[in-house]
Amino acid sequence: MTRTGNGRQLAISIENIAVAYQRRAGFFRKEKFWALKDVSFDVYHGETLGIIGRNGVGKSTLLRLLAGLMSPDKGRVVNHGVSATLLSLQVGFVQHLTGRENAILSGMMLGLSQNEIVAQMDNIRGYADIGEFFDQPVHGYSSGMQARLGFSVAIHADPDVVLLDEVLGVGDALFREKSSNAIKDLVRSEKSVILVSHQPAMHRQMCDRLVWIEGGVVQDAGEVKTVLDKYQQYHK
Amino acid sequence: MSVFYLIFVVVFDRGGEDHVAFLLTGLVVWKWFAASIPQCANCISVNVGLIRQVYIPKYVFPAMVVTNSTMKFLIVFVLLLLFLIFTGKSPSVVWFALPVLMGLQLLVMLAIGSVLSAIVPFVPDLKLLIDNGMTLLFFMSGIFFDISSASPELKTYLYLNPMAGIIDNYRAVLLDGVWPDWPLLGTVFSVSLPGLALGWYLLRRFDRTFIKVI
Repeated sequence: MTRTGNGRQLAISIENIAVAYQRRAGFFRKEKFWALKDVSFDVYHGETLGIIGRNGVGKSTLLRLLAGLMSPDKGRVVNHGVSATLLSLQVGFVQHLTGRENAILSGMMLGLSQNEIVAQMDNIRGYADIGEFFDQPVHGYSSGMQARLGFSVAIHADPDVVLLDEVLGVGDALFREKSSNAIKDLVRSEKSVILVSHQPAMHRQMCDRLVWIEGGVVQDAGEVKTVLDKYQQYHK
Repeated sequence: MSVFYLIFVVVFDRGGEDHVAFLLTGLVVWKWFAASIPQCANCISVNVGLIRQVYIPKYVFPAMVVTNSTMKFLIVFVLLLLFLIFTGKSPSVVWFALPVLMGLQLLVMLAIGSVLSAIVPFVPDLKLLIDNGMTLLFFMSGIFFDISSASPELKTYLYLNPMAGIIDNYRAVLLDGVWPDWPLLGTVFSVSLPGLALGWYLLRRFDRTFIKVI
């Protein structure tokens, strides 16, 4: 596996983007707070790109931009014809519908057609592994069960670019291992994965390339080890 | 509903023979409007969890609210028609104007609802104003009094409220068996259409900006 991503096909490019949030600065005054000031990087097909940075440097904002949920105030996000989804644990579950119905609903919101979901229903059910509860209304689920169902649907939704925002803390130990294996599978697959975290260990284990964001700009990007060393040096 | 009946028919003794039908028609139509507008105003912030996870064009949310309330209204409206027939009104050819009235009301609600849904996320305090405004409108829409019996200058102001004219015309059709006031409906239509266009434009314009403020 090439470690740089060079020579590969572009999936999403981020070009000089800046994002500002409104912040209340007084009773009537509002000021702009620039969460991201000038960030550019490319995401290639099939690579696993890590984004590292401390809390509040705009990692989640970046994921929202990549997923197309938000538009930047400056610069642009160029999507080279890929579908990018946040791997989430429950996309709009309707509490009084059953797990099966919610799987259809949430799969459709993640961009599948109803037939595609129905065709995969057995897999989704098997993966979620919540037994008879699958045909029960979701409001009777424990939060772990909801997360299992959500994760199962998300995994089967099969987007080109998977955006991961430090999940994996769901379910019991068994399911945690299963989901972490699923993510490792994703990482090994031909899909692009963007992994946001502030845990260096996770990045070291999974990523091909790392982007370090600090103070609204890309502090460094490139080989995981080099960037991580600098990151840890910086935050000593 | 029975409270209204008690107050206005029994206590105030204002009931003509038609009073129950008069009241019911006004209330059923108003309820449709009242079930749509405040919910439209809230619809984007209510779906914050969804908006943060997947991209959904935001005009879907007010459309969803209005569709939902329309389904409920249609059921109640059929019951109202049955009630009217049961109490001695016979369906006449003017009832064919009802779909036009409903279509117009739908347009009015979509126009107001979409504009509000686009503005409220930026000015959340508006919600309070809207709730109170709905109560105010409720009293000004001629639900338990006949607007056409008001003094002429007052009437001009009351008819600025689109629901007043619409409710009035439902009654004209259902209770009096006459055709609706087409010029008035035409005016409501021609004001609502740009309203809907504005709402559509705002929802598109801020489609990917709402996520920052909710």
